[in-house]
Amino acid sequence: MASKKILLVDDSCTARLVNRMIFSQKSNYELISAVDGKEAVERARLDKPDLILMDIMMPRMTGLEACRVIKQDKATSGIPVILLTTRGEESYVQEGYASGCSDYLTKPVNDAELLDLLRAYLGE
Amino acid sequence: MIGPENGSRTLRKNIAERDCTNGERILSSEELRIRAQQLSLREQLERNHFLLERLYAASAGIIQALAEGDVHAAVGEILGNLIGCEEAAIFHYDQANRHFVHAWSVGVPDETLQHFSKGTGMMWRAVGEGVTQFHDRQPESHLQPCEQNLIASVVLKSSREVVGVILLFGLLPQKNGLEWVDYQLLKFLETYGAVAIQLQCLQKNAVTP
Repeated sequence: MASKKILLVDDSCTARLVNRMIFSQKSNYELISAVDGKEAVERARLDKPDLILMDIMMPRMTGLEACRVIKQDKATSGIPVILLTTRGEESYVQEGYASGCSDYLTKPVNDAELLDLLRAYLGE
Repeated sequence: MIGPENGSRTLRKNIAERDCTNGERILSSEELRIRAQQLSLREQLERNHFLLERLYAASAGIIQALAEGDVHAAVGEILGNLIGCEEAAIFHYDQANRHFVHAWSVGVPDETLQHFSKGTGMMWRAVGEGVTQFHDRQPESHLQPCEQNLIASVVLKSSREVVGVILLFGLLPQKNGLEWVDYQLLKFLETYGAVAIQLQCLQKNAVTP
């Protein structure tokens, strides 16, 4: 069975590394990464990941903006986007969902919570 | 991750309830004790694994930052992404002249920074004793009014020399307080954050004599 491809988007190398390690607990994920929203949009079009895990606060293009662009593009609109942010307040969560994201996780990331979410979206 | 507040008593109760509801045989108290111990050991291993992952990411972040010359931002990333603190400041400490110099901050108003640049009780105790000071471990009478929102004054100590402090002002709303993993990460920063900051200062002095 082909491995599922996940696009990790975060400008923080520490965050990307932690997420990589969490995903490595499940060996059947192929991980690709981007460091801001603009690159995320490009990689989504080019690599067609099965899921995107994206930080919100990033330079050049925020995760919210990138999510909107990805969801408006027919070629990428079907990719589930999980937004990752430090802000857990209701207004921020609503803004996240308004951008078209499928789910919303707050930092610091909890391994089990993230893996459960991946299983739910990737069907494993 | 299962928090430390869920003790083995809860686990034992859960096991017993599960076994009863599934119609399986009821375990003896000795079997229950062994299973609870096994689960407790598993929890500890998972907790340590969780910490190891984060220590690895923190080390890698600091090493990369040393190459790029931005250690303060790397410390900020550790605080924000791993500990869940986005209101923090780093002050360098000049031991010879006994004063603090603001080096980096995030989410802290200038007015507050100016106030803390003079040094406060928790900051002076941290550099004086060489020990990190936590707000909830201070006698109420030792706290200054401006320190009400200060969670911790983390001492940065390299080869016994105090080079500064990291002040933590506020945790993210989804965090109820510092947890075991956070304390371990702060211990890591006490030493290796300090070393990295000192190395970066040396590198900068070397290129600008």
